[in-house]
Amino acid sequence: MSAPVGIEAWTAEDVHAADVDTALARLRAASAPAGAAPNLRTSVMTHLAWVPEEWLDKARAALAGMAEAHPSRTVLLVPEPDSGKDRVDATVTVETYMLPGVDRAVCTEVIELRLEGMRAKAPASVVQPLLVSDLPVFLRWRGEPPWGAPELDQLVGVVDRLIVDSTEWDDLPFPYRHLAELFPRTAVSDIAWARTSRWRRLLASLWPAVGDVGTIRVHGTAAQAWLLLGWLRSRLGRDDIELEHVEAERLEGIDLDGEPAPFPPGDPPSPSDVLSDELDRFGRDPVYEAAVLAVAE
Amino acid sequence: MAAATEQENPLLEGLSLRRTPDPFAMVIFGASGDLTHKKLMPALYALLLRRLLPARFAIVGVARTDGDDGSFRADMEQAVRRHARDEFRQDVWDELAAALHYVPTDFSDEAGEDRLKERVQQIDDEKGLDGNRVYYLAVPPVAYPTIVEALGKRRTHEGWARLIVEKPFGHDLASAKALNTMLLEHFEEQEIFRIDHYLGKETVQNMLALRFANGIFEPIWNRQFIDHVQITVAESIGIEGRAGYYEAAGAIRDIFQNHLLQLLALTAMEPPIDFSSESVRNEKVKVLKSIHTPGPKSVVRGQYGRGFVEGEEVPAYREEQGVAPDSMTETYVAAKLYVDNWRWADTPFYVRMGKRLARRETTIAIQFKRAPHPPFEETASEGLRPNVLLVHVQPDEGVSLAIGAKVPGQGMTIRTVHMDFLYGGAFRTAMPEAYERLILDTVLGDGTLFTRADEVEEQWLLVDAIVSAWQRDRPGFPNYAAGTWGPPSADDLLHRDGRSWRRH
Repeated sequence: MSAPVGIEAWTAEDVHAADVDTALARLRAASAPAGAAPNLRTSVMTHLAWVPEEWLDKARAALAGMAEAHPSRTVLLVPEPDSGKDRVDATVTVETYMLPGVDRAVCTEVIELRLEGMRAKAPASVVQPLLVSDLPVFLRWRGEPPWGAPELDQLVGVVDRLIVDSTEWDDLPFPYRHLAELFPRTAVSDIAWARTSRWRRLLASLWPAVGDVGTIRVHGTAAQAWLLLGWLRSRLGRDDIELEHVEAERLEGIDLDGEPAPFPPGDPPSPSDVLSDELDRFGRDPVYEAAVLAVAE
Repeated sequence: MAAATEQENPLLEGLSLRRTPDPFAMVIFGASGDLTHKKLMPALYALLLRRLLPARFAIVGVARTDGDDGSFRADMEQAVRRHARDEFRQDVWDELAAALHYVPTDFSDEAGEDRLKERVQQIDDEKGLDGNRVYYLAVPPVAYPTIVEALGKRRTHEGWARLIVEKPFGHDLASAKALNTMLLEHFEEQEIFRIDHYLGKETVQNMLALRFANGIFEPIWNRQFIDHVQITVAESIGIEGRAGYYEAAGAIRDIFQNHLLQLLALTAMEPPIDFSSESVRNEKVKVLKSIHTPGPKSVVRGQYGRGFVEGEEVPAYREEQGVAPDSMTETYVAAKLYVDNWRWADTPFYVRMGKRLARRETTIAIQFKRAPHPPFEETASEGLRPNVLLVHVQPDEGVSLAIGAKVPGQGMTIRTVHMDFLYGGAFRTAMPEAYERLILDTVLGDGTLFTRADEVEEQWLLVDAIVSAWQRDRPGFPNYAAGTWGPPSADDLLHRDGRSWRRH
């Protein structure tokens, strides 16, 4: 990953979408050398992220690794419903990256909006004027979504794909029931599920012996454990497979009926790479949905 | 039984499974050469880094140079450090190094060939490579028959065998046919992978995506809407010390016969019924068969004299080391070609290629017919040029569309502007090198991006017809200065039709 060669930023309080648009145009023009043609703005999507304050640093870090791979307009929504104010504050940043082997640069746009007071309850109305026309909209929701709350309901209504990381949730597998209710409305990606893909591929390679497994012991996060169990149950059509979970920060191993499965080849992907991969998907994932339903019911 | 079990495996559903190559041993003839150092080994390193090679494989380098596994590994490590597109990773290199072996031998030495076969078999036995072989001919064509016959005599029917043949594939139709005949005595057509590395380039493949994945282009991709096509393969470099090869080949065999005609075929071909190797190559060969042999007035050749390239004075072709002072080898060719079929009748394809031109550039420009009746005052649209869809193969990989737009202001002035899609701007993952794709396709047995025997022969048929006409005259070489866009007669070729080469 290369660092941006230029960063132009603008910050203001109590803004409207038109102010943000104006700022973006000015920053894009400023990012190019004087007298030169404006830098390219090649977007492949609008990337929304719902980021409560406690997730902000992690969200910015993931974004830093991803911005170059996915030239896009990113809108970070930071809800502050209890700030005592009722307004939107904005920080707009245009980052410029050089294209390899070419004397041209490409811009990415990051709009960080603090939704204060009532504005946090109507986020869709804030972001809709800022979506890039005709391009897919992805929503990354940090932490456990507030199931049934209007802000979630509204944003799900304007996006093409919701990306969550159920590793960030407590009391699994119960929240999967709520997640499953969203399946008919939008495609869903789960970072926790994506992180099991190497292991799923490995387990699939153990067919047909794996078809008779009675107990799966997962050394990893609770989300990975439940999702792997759901996957085996749904794919094998068996709800008698038992789970033993050994807590670990990452997926470190899987035992099938007490026998360790071989370690999958290759390195685990970085957080940015996992998110990047999810941003390359468009349709619904019926295998994931079935895995969630298998442990949610 | 095993296949049925795999089909029934319910755990495979939804997993994005890459096709994994079978275990294999790749035997590289010419392992001490530039191609191995600069392209093949860096490509193998990149494939291993991305986990695209199977768990069991071996690379056996073969050359006349004395050496052993240790010296070969040390040499290849330097090659990877210097030429790989990825950062050097010790763990990946260690894995690749463990797969490298070296057999010093003279290709014409029967005993040496026996030793090679025994060594490869021994490595196969140790690693479990199932008898699968890729033979890579990274050697001058003169060595092909000796090596191929030696391989053919020692072939077993265990596992599969694939033979990669580098260009030039013959030097005329007769020699290409003889080479095909010789290869086919020992290998089946589907076992022969003739490399034209242009076909491994992402942007060349993107031509197929552009044409056949976008509903807006195909309806207008024909003589009704397209005025003409220009294909440019321009190099700013000279012959880079390859006088021996270039003196015999010239621009027409070096570029026109292979890269250029392949670009033309991809531009003009009909939609294949699927993306299988036979379907794609069937359509390409139809185009090659349809190309009308150009008359002498439709072909221009040139040779560069002294000039300046990027501010540096460079010698004339005839002053290059190893080039005859009265050489008549062409370093530039331009031609007007017609594809005689329903889609393209009367639509000229202007092609040009050459060395020491103004800059390095490979482009395919589709120039559309003008709007039939622009309702603007003539002066308002003076700056308006016809729509051009420009495919940049290299550098600046991407596509741009020239369209007319109103200049901001009170009046109605129209100017041509470019809508640019830069490949690197939308997809920031690094583009693989052509050789990575082509080596991987070979071990997977996918010949789509390789040239079939009948394609090669059709290409030579056209080249032979052009070259035979050249025997009858003796142009005044040099006829263009290095650092320019070729001889004036190339401009005349288009001016006679009321057109001009694209401005740069």
